[in-house]
Amino acid sequence: MAALLVYSERVDTACELVAGGKELAAALGLGVSAVALGPGAGAAASALAAAGADSVYVSEDAAFEGWPADAVAAGLAQIVEQAGASVVLVGSTRRGKETAPRLAQKLGAGCVSDVSSLVVEDGDLVAGRYAFGGATVAREKLVTAVKVFAVMPKTFDAEGASAGAGTVVSPALSVSTAVKVVDHRAKEGDHVNLDAAPLIVGVGRGFNAREDLALGDELAAALGAVVGCTKSLADFEWLGEDRIIGLSGAKTAPDLYLSVGVSGQIQHTVGVSAAKLIAAVNKDKEAPIFALADYGIVGDLYEVLPALTERLKSV
Amino acid sequence: MDIVVCVKTNPDLQMVRIKNREAVTEAVPYKIGDLEKNALQAAVDLRAAAGGKVTALCLAESNRKAAEDIKVALAMGADEAVVIDDPALAAPDQAAIAAVLAAAVKKIGACDLLLFGEGSSDNYTGQVGARVAELLGLPQIGYARKVEAADGAVRCERSMDDMIETLEAPLPAAVTVVSEINEPTIPGLMQIMKAKSKPLQVWALADLGLGAPAPVREIVSNLAEEQDRKNILFEGTVAEQADAFVNALIKEGVLGR
Amino acid sequence: MEQVECIIVGGGLAGLSAAYGLASAGVEVMVLERGDYSGAKNVTGGRLYVKPIRGFYPELWEELPYERPIARELVTMMGDGAHTTIEIASDRFAGAKPQSYTVLRAKLDQWLAEKVTEKGAMVVPNMKVDELLRKDGRVIGIRAGGDEIGAQVVIVAEGVLRLLSSEAGLAAEPQAKHHALGYKEVIELPSGVIEDRWHLNPGEGAAQFFMGACTKGMMGGGFLYTNKESISLGMVVGMEDMRRRRDGTESWQLLDEFKELPQIKPLVAGGVVAEYSAHSVPEGGISQVPKLAGDGYLVAGDTAGLSLNALVTVRGMDFAIASGYFAAEAVKRAKKAGDFTAAGLASYEASLRNSFVLKDLETARAIPGFMENPRLFTHYPVAVSRLLESIYTIDERPQAGLFKKAWRGLRRDFMNVATVKDAWSMRKI
Ligand SMILES: Cc1cc2nc3c(=O)[nH]c(=O)nc-3n(C[C@H](O)[C@H](O)[C@H](O)COP(=O)(O)OP(=O)(O)OC[C@H]3O[C@@H](n4cnc5c(N)ncnc54)[C@H](O)[C@@H]3O)c2cc1C
Ligand SMILES: Cc1cc2nc3c(=O)[nH]c(=O)nc-3n(C[C@H](O)[C@H](O)[C@H](O)COP(=O)(O)OP(=O)(O)OC[C@H]3O[C@@H](n4cnc5c(N)ncnc54)[C@H](O)[C@@H]3O)c2cc1C
Ligand SMILES: Nc1ncnc2c1ncn2[C@@H]1O[C@H](COP(=O)(O)O)[C@@H](O)[C@H]1O
Repeated sequence: MAALLVYSERVDTACELVAGGKELAAALGLGVSAVALGPGAGAAASALAAAGADSVYVSEDAAFEGWPADAVAAGLAQIVEQAGASVVLVGSTRRGKETAPRLAQKLGAGCVSDVSSLVVEDGDLVAGRYAFGGATVAREKLVTAVKVFAVMPKTFDAEGASAGAGTVVSPALSVSTAVKVVDHRAKEGDHVNLDAAPLIVGVGRGFNAREDLALGDELAAALGAVVGCTKSLADFEWLGEDRIIGLSGAKTAPDLYLSVGVSGQIQHTVGVSAAKLIAAVNKDKEAPIFALADYGIVGDLYEVLPALTERLKSV
Repeated sequence: MDIVVCVKTNPDLQMVRIKNREAVTEAVPYKIGDLEKNALQAAVDLRAAAGGKVTALCLAESNRKAAEDIKVALAMGADEAVVIDDPALAAPDQAAIAAVLAAAVKKIGACDLLLFGEGSSDNYTGQVGARVAELLGLPQIGYARKVEAADGAVRCERSMDDMIETLEAPLPAAVTVVSEINEPTIPGLMQIMKAKSKPLQVWALADLGLGAPAPVREIVSNLAEEQDRKNILFEGTVAEQADAFVNALIKEGVLGR
Repeated sequence: MEQVECIIVGGGLAGLSAAYGLASAGVEVMVLERGDYSGAKNVTGGRLYVKPIRGFYPELWEELPYERPIARELVTMMGDGAHTTIEIASDRFAGAKPQSYTVLRAKLDQWLAEKVTEKGAMVVPNMKVDELLRKDGRVIGIRAGGDEIGAQVVIVAEGVLRLLSSEAGLAAEPQAKHHALGYKEVIELPSGVIEDRWHLNPGEGAAQFFMGACTKGMMGGGFLYTNKESISLGMVVGMEDMRRRRDGTESWQLLDEFKELPQIKPLVAGGVVAEYSAHSVPEGGISQVPKLAGDGYLVAGDTAGLSLNALVTVRGMDFAIASGYFAAEAVKRAKKAGDFTAAGLASYEASLRNSFVLKDLETARAIPGFMENPRLFTHYPVAVSRLLESIYTIDERPQAGLFKKAWRGLRRDFMNVATVKDAWSMRKI
């Protein structure tokens, strides 16, 4: 049976894609195969099977260490061939996003990256992705024999998936990479999980100084919210990259997103458009964020935040 | 070291408005994307250290006459510019763009390092760099926030989802850059004037021995998402606004659960 | 110092028009524009009278990216709870060669900048000129962002504020009493709605002028122009009057309040504001036109005070384009003679004097003074509406004859010492 092939170097993302891919594959009459690459990859096989993979291609070839794009693309292309795959879903992490197009190019395939929705319509896969910096959603179809989609993490839910046979296949691959990892180190700073947070306070350039972010922290504490930020603040290194919300950061769906000193550029707001409620504090009444907000306070955050924190403490 | 920087011009997104859910680009000026400016600056900085030549390469999308817009790249310090402009490239997909750019790089000839933005401002697919690298059989390093070149190799630092890495690839290689890599300089009037006399070539597909590309994708629709928000602005003193806001949150069931 | 033949300060209509003429003749020109692109910040009400300028660059006006040719002219006098609208329609307003079009500057100026570039001129956006360089009383170049560039001649077309030219002593600093403030919104409406609301044939446009209550007695008026899929709605108010107001109205509130008036509200209903802008307008008339040329320089467009507000017609764009054209002609002549002194450039002023530009301004010499008369914006619009309202009113009382009604109104509002004086002063305009 022809296959829908799933790959991500992140096991959680791969499992989501297997679960989501399984429904798409059913509609397209395909089986679902997963791929795990790199030293230690075999350990992922059972999780991928549990998520619904009929077969799992595993290769622990040393060339896959650190998942260099050239080697991973080459390995995947060979597996696509062997599995007779016509659809490939790759997790659109940074690594996946640089690998998927290289794979597509090898296969003479079309590719859609940063896919935020993927459905079958009239027997065809239609992928949604943000265009014009997030202002619109382009819905695209691929017309090539093999189709590659780099799908954003959290597009599908791995929970409740029905397990597949999970037959482990060890393909014979011929791969190498020209890229050498000279050094790597863990990222510093605290890690947050914005994806799962029910309440988020988003801070932006309205804060004049790094120390002033304490005002945002206090507000978040009073609300019981997690702090996220615009890319600008991460660029200043006031906050870590994993706090970025938006096109190049987290796409969140909290119950409340409260932005403070955020103008509301589309690249940021695509990360919160799924929030149940959006509220904003900004001193400029014309700031684009207000057009997107349910509740707005026009005012100086240096006055509004202390008052708001005070009031919240009394709840 | 000879560097080719792939530079795209696109509508100024700040000026694109949404009307009836569609993006209106009429009368919106085009400019070089921010990340491509970072890539150009990186090339100029590398040239300062290692010598050589920087060529800006642009495929004019949307049948926009990019020859004028690309002069900014020359003013920013590129030595030469090549624009590919052809009526068959009105709305190319990423596979087509990559095929054309790869052919152009071959025609340009000398190229030790190929630089791209991590994504273009309007499409932001991040596909073009990787596809060109594959077409030319080059090693690729994405998301570079530091780039150095020495002894026939390029060394880049990048921040990935899980870790910070330093990677090295032999030249020639393809590298895509992120905005943290540098602060592009804004060219002054003298630089703009000097750019006028720098070589700028415009090629058609035929000059590259290519025909009209076969599309690999079809755009079904491209519309703004519908947002239905309450748009309530609170009035009164700061304390009154804070109070009204907190009351609204309680009513919505977000607080006090 | 790097040299070019001609530097043009300001990429508005005046500057671009000059650049087009010069580049077409192979003169080396560089246009420096402060905005992100030509048209980015340029504010206009929205109507370009093309008839006067069709003869200059005839190939251009055929492709002009206009919105609608104006076929209907409306004047609304707003009284106290009553208003009167006069409609002037003519087959000859639109037709095969329309006399005027509505335009949007972001489109128009970008288009012209592209044409200028095609002719070989350099148009440099994002480039603010900081100083006009002078030596022995002669303008020899400019300084922008730390770079100095020399030129044989500089055409100053920096618009109404004259910051550079007044600093360099080429023109007087603008004074409040010779200026008005313009506020404008572009409000989007579907073209069908526009055509219904203003009773237009498809593609045709209307211009509407409002006087009276909308300016709260201040000198000025409201305007409305229909574009393809939007309307330009705004008002122009005398700067001096605006300053004298003490009721705390912020200038931008005027436009908000204007939009809420019962005469306007239904016209803009359902529209989405796409753009807001404010700008000043020269209103001094010919008495405020500075010296037009000197050693090494020319001034054009609003910088030269070439703008005419004749109450119901506002002109500036056609003057800007015409002055740019004549500036280019003069520079070409000066180049041929190798003389860029005031004498070598003198043909500029002569051409303007012989053309509609200074002739129309001369004809309108008295208008600025006439418009200082506050009754124009308070008494008359109310009186006209009151008179017509009385004629059209039927109530429970026995009705006076039509003539008597009219006569009563005329005598009360139009026949007293003040109005007779006004009528007498009108003879000059
Ligand atoms: C390819 C690309 C990808 C991008 N991806 C992302 C992304 O994923 N996430 C992201 O966030 N951005 C992203 N950006 C950047 C984005 O375009 C904006 O530049 C950024 O979001 C703006 O951040 P900001 O709102 O903090 O700053 P600004 O736009 O500068 O806004 C600051 C706001 O603070 C208000 N303010 C100032 N002082 C006060 C005060 N005292 N009290 C109250 N309000 C005040 C101001 O009125 C203003 O509205 C991306 C850009 C590009 C080109
Ligand atoms: C509200 C309003 C309504 C109007 N309605 C009409 C109408 O309906 N019809 C009509 O014909 N006219 C109208 N006018 C008048 C008309 O808009 C002007 O007369 C015309 O725009 C003048 O053109 P210009 O090129 O001289 O000046 P501008 O269009 O102002 O151009 C000057 C340019 O110079 C640039 N500049 C300024 N300083 C510098 C510097 N230091 N360095 C570099 N660049 C600089 C500016 O950015 C600008 O682009 C109206 C004006 C207003 C404000
Ligand atoms: N039309 C183009 N001309 C030149 N370079 C391009 C073009 N399109 C994309 N690129 C390059 O490829 C990068 C990624 O673009 P994209 O794949 O569209 O996100 C850009 O930052 C550019 O460096």
